Order: sequence, then C-alpha cells, then structure tokens
Amino acid sequence: MSGAAGTGARRGPPGWVSLVPLLVLWEAVGRADVALFIPPLSRVAVTWWKLAGDGTLWKAMSTSLVALVQGFGLALLVGIPLGTAMGRLRAVQYVCDPYVNVLTSAPLSALVPILIALFGVKDTVVMATVFLFAVSVIVVNCMAGVKGVDRSILEMARVFGATPLQFFAKILLPAALPAILVGAHLGAMQAVKGMVVGEMLVSLVGLGERLVYYGNTFLILHLYAVILTVVVLALLAAQLVHLADRALIRWK
Amino acid sequence: MTAAPAAAPEALEIRVEGVSKVFGAVQALEGVSLTIEAGEFVTFIGPSGCGKTTLLKMIAGLIRPDAGRILIGGRPVEGPGHDRSLVFQDHALMPWTSILRNVAFGLELRGVPKAERQAAARRYIAKVKLTGFEQHYPHQLSGGMQQRAGLARALAVNPRILLMDEPFASVDEQTRRLFQDDLLAVWGEERRTVVFVTHSMEEAVYLSDRVFLISPRPGRLVEVLEVPLPRPRADHGVRGDPGFTRLVERVWDTLKKLQ
Repeated sequence: MSGAAGTGARRGPPGWVSLVPLLVLWEAVGRADVALFIPPLSRVAVTWWKLAGDGTLWKAMSTSLVALVQGFGLALLVGIPLGTAMGRLRAVQYVCDPYVNVLTSAPLSALVPILIALFGVKDTVVMATVFLFAVSVIVVNCMAGVKGVDRSILEMARVFGATPLQFFAKILLPAALPAILVGAHLGAMQAVKGMVVGEMLVSLVGLGERLVYYGNTFLILHLYAVILTVVVLALLAAQLVHLADRALIRWK
Repeated sequence: MTAAPAAAPEALEIRVEGVSKVFGAVQALEGVSLTIEAGEFVTFIGPSGCGKTTLLKMIAGLIRPDAGRILIGGRPVEGPGHDRSLVFQDHALMPWTSILRNVAFGLELRGVPKAERQAAARRYIAKVKLTGFEQHYPHQLSGGMQQRAGLARALAVNPRILLMDEPFASVDEQTRRLFQDDLLAVWGEERRTVVFVTHSMEEAVYLSDRVFLISPRPGRLVEVLEVPLPRPRADHGVRGDPGFTRLVERVWDTLKKLQ
C-alpha cells in the first residue's frame, strides 16, 4: 500500500501514514503502564507473532472464513435479485421495505439468541448472522442502482424488443453494477462484523470464540492480537471487493 | 439481407385515428387523426408540451392511447415491434459497452449471431461516418458522435419506420446542418418512412415532405403543410430558395398563434 497516493498531481505520503501517530501514542501509553487494558503495541505484536506461529490464529480463522464466505455468498445470491425486484416492481418494494428497514436499523446482535433457538448452538448460527448483517445493505444499494438506471435506456430496450430476461441480464445488471458493488463493499464489512458477533455469542468456534476466551481470562495481549487480525481481515475483504470493482467497471 | 445495395424493405403507412391521451390533469393529445404515406419523411412540430413526443412514442408502441388507435400497414399497434425503430434525444447508448456492441444491440436482442450482427453494425457505423470508433466507449465520444451512433443502431435493425425524437437538439448549428444532409443522404438510399420530431422550423421544412403542426394542451393537429421543394435538398441549394423561406414563415405564422 506504499507508493503513489494518486495519479501524478500530488506526491505526498501514502494514506496509512496518518495512522502512525496513533500507533506511536499507543506504544507510549502502553509503556507508561497507565492501565491493564492498554499494553504497548510492541508486546501485542510479539504475541500476535506467537499465536500465528502456533496455529491458534489460523485454526480460528479457517472456521471463521468458511462461515463468512458462505453467509456473504448467500447474502449476494438473495440480495441482488431481491434488490432488483424491489427496484423494478412497486408491489415487491412495498411488501419488503419493512423487513429491510428492520434489518438495517435494528441491533442485529439481539437477534442472535433467536437464531440459536432456531438452529441450535452450532456454527450455522454464525453463517446466518453473517447473512443477516450483510443482506440489507446489499439489497438497499442494488435497489437504488436499479432505480437509478437512465429512463431512456429502459425505453430503448423496450423499443428494440428486449424480453424480461434480456432486460435483467443485459440492461439492469450492468447498469446497476456500480451500485451493487458499493453494496458488496459495505456488505463485506458488515459480514465480518456479523461473523465476529455471531461467534462471540455462540462462543463455540472461530475468532469470536477466541475473543470471548481471551477477554474472560484477561489475556489482554492475546485479545488485542485477535482484534487486529479481525481488522486486517475486514480490510482485506474490502480490498478484494475494490479489485472486483476495478476489474468490472472499466467504463466510467 | 442481400449483398447488393438492398432493395428497401417495403416502407409502411401509418394511420393515426382519433388518438387521445391524458396524463394526470393534462390533455396531452385530443382526437388527433393523420395519415403518413409509406416512404414519406414527415415532421411533427409545435410548442413545448404539445404532445408531439407522446404521439411519436405511441407510434413506437411505448405508450398506449386512452382513445383511438394507430394502424401500421393496416395492423393496429399493440406494442413495440421489429418494423419500427427509435432515435432518442439523449442518445440512450449503454455506457458500459463499446460503440460496436451498442449499434449491434437491436440485432443482439433478436438473437442474430455475433459475426453477422457485428458485420451489419460495422456497415451502419460506416454509413454514419464513425468508422474507427467501434471499440470506444460512449463517454469517449462527443455529443454529435453519440447521436450518430444512436442513428446507426436504429438503422441496423432495418426498420420500415424510423422514428426520431429531436435527435439534433443538443448539437450546434453548423454540425446540425451537416447532420441533416447526412440523414437525408442515408434516408435517400432506402426511403423508409420517417417521423421526425423537432422544435426547429427550418429543420422541419428542410427535411420533410410534409409538416404536421400540433398545438399544446390540449394537443391537437392544427395544420398540415406540404413541402414541394425538390430533392435532394442539399444539391438544389434549397436553403437559399425563397420558397423555402416562405414555408418557414408559414410555419411560424401558425406557431406564433399557438404560443
């Protein structure tokens, strides 16, 4: 992530440089031993390295990643067609709007106990949580994208005789793709959050389980190591969506 | 389609019979009746909001009349069809794909195989003088070039009726004159029926065989003007002809009363 901050004009330092003061502050406060809960960054880094080496992190991450990919994948498979339908058909929007609003605004972690009651205390609950966290933002953005398609392009497709399937595949999807990718980007962030929340509440597997365990046993360094891992994971997910965006949208 | 300069697909006649349309509280069209002969080039002109674009879209099959009907080649219009094609005021090109695919799009929707439709698209791109821009994206073209691409797309499906909704409205005066002559040249090759909507009186008289003047709110046909000027219009220096100026002033006299 080093290198050009933009194309040409400004040759300033890269973006992440703005984090350096925070990291320096963290290290300083940690060394000053102000509180148990603020260890120096350098010791967190050492612990992280240890956990990465002995397999703890990878084992926790692999379970997390499976639930993340499944839940997010499902959110895309359900969210994009639903968002498209809501964007095109008033009736569908009318019926689904309340549910989407609930999913967007309600504290979803409160729903997890209901999911546990439904699915039992298993890792399926985590996949379901990921799905619920991600789907509403995907639906909302996809709907906005579809609604925003140029009216004359829609008329053009009708004039030249597009069938409903051709309409969806050749007009709506490509036109709404930038908005869908925004939804996917935000959805990926939400999916990671959902994954951690689900795992913490289920306390069975993955990074969330480690968070609860280290929290309960006051292994602060280990706790921070896992938090940093989650943050990096979220950033990687965002970067992947960004790459997809660059690859798919070359026409803007 | 034959390899030799193709015999024109039989152009079609359009009959509008007692058509009315209401949008909310506005009487966009009221009892409009007219006939357009096969192979004719006609213009709808009138003040803003006079329903001329609505009437054009009804012929295209995009809007249904509240009363009356429209017959094309004797058959009532039920919706869009292969016999009609539309050139939009704001080009309506798909920004996410190349000019070549845009121009070939009408054929793509009909399931024409790729090689064949791309060849046809290239022919029409050449006719509108856009050769070399096949792989460009719409945003890389000027407004005038985008309009030409829109015209190529409309022609590529070989329609019997070409409908044009103020296609040159956003183009500068000089380019507009060139486009008008280009359009007449392309039209002259195959003589489809053309219905052209415009605000410009000079454009209406210069291009058409007949001009239909429409009044606003309620939209009514108030006058039909014959334009007996010789064709090809460009070759006969029609713009300098006093007959041309007289006809333009005739149009203005009527439109003035409608403002």
